[in-house]
Amino acid sequence: MKENRALLTVLVAVIAAACTWYINHQLGYGAVIASSFVGIVAGIVLPADLAGAAYTASFVGMSATAVLPSLGFALLAGIVVGIVIISTGPVYAGMGGKGGTTAATSVLITRGIMRVFGL
Amino acid sequence: MEQLILVVTAIVAGVAAYAINVELGKGGVLGSAIVALIGGILFPPLFGELGSSMALVAATASYAGMVSKNNVHSMGEMAVVGALTGLLFLAAAPAYPGVGGRLGTIGAIACLCFVGYKHLFASLVQQDMQKLASGK
Repeated sequence: MKENRALLTVLVAVIAAACTWYINHQLGYGAVIASSFVGIVAGIVLPADLAGAAYTASFVGMSATAVLPSLGFALLAGIVVGIVIISTGPVYAGMGGKGGTTAATSVLITRGIMRVFGL
Repeated sequence: MEQLILVVTAIVAGVAAYAINVELGKGGVLGSAIVALIGGILFPPLFGELGSSMALVAATASYAGMVSKNNVHSMGEMAVVGALTGLLFLAAAPAYPGVGGRLGTIGAIACLCFVGYKHLFASLVQQDMQKLASGK
């Protein structure tokens, strides 16, 4: 993946994760509505690859506050999932649920980072 | 009875997401997001606590419905994947509570199980055909 596209993917992921977390917890619409709303906007506005990255990152924002306690941690998790997305693009391509697996892995990595740095 | 309703919900949601994705050509993201949003808005006020579970299982099955046509060839096959997703949801929903992406992981496992079964079945049929052809 070209460098510019990779950076754009990470940026989109960060924004999507943060927006989903915000709609989920701050606005109180819940995880499913928050993620699906971000997914619909991404699907309409963005090209296919970036829409896929945004939707995957939105799954990160579905995490409970016990897992990602604040918007800051959602931003961190968005960075992590963006990096994982660009690293694993061809792996299991076309398999439904791959995005969720990517997001869950990224959330667990983020939790590990939080634990290591005592956050 | 509630568990049967959840499995049926998963089948319908998975097929709907697949239809929007593959049959209508709108792609996996829109297919899943539309189904999940409709389920999230309609089910909880209509069915109360059961409706919340129906919304979650519909979202889970919609993630499985993002599968490509190369792996799941028809809506009939997607109905099987949806049923698998519903059963896995019932078994695994309490695992990793609060971790975003766990429902999609359930969808992925259902897809992988189905694709793996198809490959295994095709391989066994091929072996049987070879045995028949060789006269053993």
